[in-house]
Amino acid sequence: MQLNNGRSIRQALAVATCTLLGTAPQSGHAADNAENWRVDGSILYYSEQDRVTVIEPVVFARRTFADDSALTLRLVYDSMTGASANGATLTNAPQTFTSPSGTSTYTTPANQTPLHQFSDQRVALAAEWEKPVNRMRRYVYGATISTENDYQSFGLSTTLLQDFNDKLSTFTAGLAGSYDLVQPIGGVPTPMQLLSTVVPSSGGDEGGDGGGKGKASLDGIVGFTQVLTRRLLTQFNYSIGYASGYLTDPYKVLSVVNATGATVDYRYESRPDTRIRQSLYWKTVYHLPHDVVHFSYRHYWDDWGVSADTVDLHYRLELWKGSYLQPHVRYATQNAADFYIHSLLNTNPAPVHASADYRLGDLVTTTVGLKFGLPVGKSSELSLRVESMTQSGNSHPADAIGIQKGFDLFPTIHSSIAQLTYTGRF
Amino acid sequence: MTLLRRSGYWEGSFEAMASPCSLLAEVANAEVARRLLAIARAEALRIEAKYSRYRTDNILYRINTSAGQPLEVDDETAQLLDYAAHCYTLSEGRFDVTSGVLRQVWRFDGSDRVPSAEAVIALLPRIGWEKISWQRPRLMVPPGMEIDFGGIGKEYAVDRSALLLAAETDASLLINYGGDLFATSARADGHSWRIGLDDPAATGERSTGELEIRRGAIATSGDARRYLLKDGIRYSHILDPRTGWPVPDAPHSVTVVADTCLEAGMLATFAMLMGREAEVFLGRQATGHHIIR
Repeated sequence: MQLNNGRSIRQALAVATCTLLGTAPQSGHAADNAENWRVDGSILYYSEQDRVTVIEPVVFARRTFADDSALTLRLVYDSMTGASANGATLTNAPQTFTSPSGTSTYTTPANQTPLHQFSDQRVALAAEWEKPVNRMRRYVYGATISTENDYQSFGLSTTLLQDFNDKLSTFTAGLAGSYDLVQPIGGVPTPMQLLSTVVPSSGGDEGGDGGGKGKASLDGIVGFTQVLTRRLLTQFNYSIGYASGYLTDPYKVLSVVNATGATVDYRYESRPDTRIRQSLYWKTVYHLPHDVVHFSYRHYWDDWGVSADTVDLHYRLELWKGSYLQPHVRYATQNAADFYIHSLLNTNPAPVHASADYRLGDLVTTTVGLKFGLPVGKSSELSLRVESMTQSGNSHPADAIGIQKGFDLFPTIHSSIAQLTYTGRF
Repeated sequence: MTLLRRSGYWEGSFEAMASPCSLLAEVANAEVARRLLAIARAEALRIEAKYSRYRTDNILYRINTSAGQPLEVDDETAQLLDYAAHCYTLSEGRFDVTSGVLRQVWRFDGSDRVPSAEAVIALLPRIGWEKISWQRPRLMVPPGMEIDFGGIGKEYAVDRSALLLAAETDASLLINYGGDLFATSARADGHSWRIGLDDPAATGERSTGELEIRRGAIATSGDARRYLLKDGIRYSHILDPRTGWPVPDAPHSVTVVADTCLEAGMLATFAMLMGREAEVFLGRQATGHHIIR
């Protein structure tokens, strides 16, 4: 009984009263239309120096309805061209790689990091339906579909959002499932097969292991958001995901070297067929009198031995008439997967699992960025975001052999991102 | 609007929110007193115009005729709705800005016209803040329901006027809107403002006591003239929105001293709603009060 439990009611009332009187009334007329559209259009340009270029237009639309339910649609188109490191190490001789079907090859000149050329288009559509059950509870149902030349993905999700404590606290629980199908161009490689033993098949690029490989994932998340004061909000999330199926990258290989460090052959990589990923996430938003600070920390780990820590800081500096400038810094460190190895020794038997994919290696990623937002008209905004990202790893690992010691086995990757966004409400 | 010279202060008065309103100002000349009075009056009339339930050109009318359609409200209205929501929670549903529809069956005119139980029950589905959808800035009031800031408006007007006047002068002021008061500071001679308390048995003729105030607010809930009397039972005009019936054993009036008029008014109203527990409730709040049974 709040009325009977003494003094707290007076203090709570005093706080509520201060809040009410603390805000000067503003004259103005309320809009009577609760149903409205919000539409965002953006174009993102991502470029990895000498490697990948991605141009990604995104259309986002959100329609809110009279009963507080909302429909969100998101359409993404990616045009990806360029090359990505195929896992083989740089060496002092030209290197030639063969597709699993044996029908196509590509060659990397001496003293260059071997890259696998690609060109792909991706179209992804996501829909979300948010439905309030009552004043304190909402459900969100989502569906996604994404298609590329060699990759299809389908997903379903559901999330419960439960407010309590006068809407100062929100509990979130979500479950998502997805099924992906990969149909590698050039066929599905046999894990750990030596490239020198690939026999050209009559089926052309449809050869190798033939058709596609599937992957199923199930992800769960629980979260808690708390408004601590009028200015301070904090959020905790724990997520766990289980993936099963074909988790190997069909385009990645490992160099096989002899005792002098010279590359003599290559093997297709091999990853475990299950993965359990977990993460803890903490985010805090603090409203200064004008500006807003966002800080987040994420700790990630999985049963492949990968663990990562990420800190992220945004500062939104309010400028004039609704415009703002938002500097951003992000720093992430990652420990390599247990089976990550830069190359294999030809005298050793092939391991069950091995990958030289730099994304599974020891990695330090630093991002700095700046966003500028400008209001356009009464309820629209134009913003430009530019970011620069550097990924570096162990260029000269202690176990490098012979001539490998003279090469940069983990060249630093520099990439740039530019994104122009228009947000409109109707 | 009238302005009179008293000994040591000016007394200005006007009518707003169906109540006599006054401003006592310890300022030297009439010019300043008139300007302060104009500010106070403008604010009181602004709030009355915006939230009066007798008008058809304001936000409250739009809310109450929205017939279940959601609408977006301005910041000030949003703040008041947030406040009403807080008061609803703090009072565990006893204070409810949707309870005004009970006026359709309860008319406290001193008669014996107590409504039938059926008539009261029929109204209950149209009462209850929890049935309102309020997600700032969007409000949706189900058809048949109404919102009424009557229990907050006058106190809010006093506090708002005090804020505006404090920005204009350091002089000691006493704002009094229909018995809800706020004093900005001790008087120039260091004395308090002295407030006579109306005797509910002889309204306007006799006082039952006196409160002194230097800085702060006093608000009173209860009106001895508004009741029903049937079969020897006196029905107070304080209705419990959870039952639709008058709160049993409610005091005749409750007066509370607090930092702001809103707090004083809410505590006084909460105490009335507590019925026979009013004394215990206010005793725990550790704030000055006066209860008349």
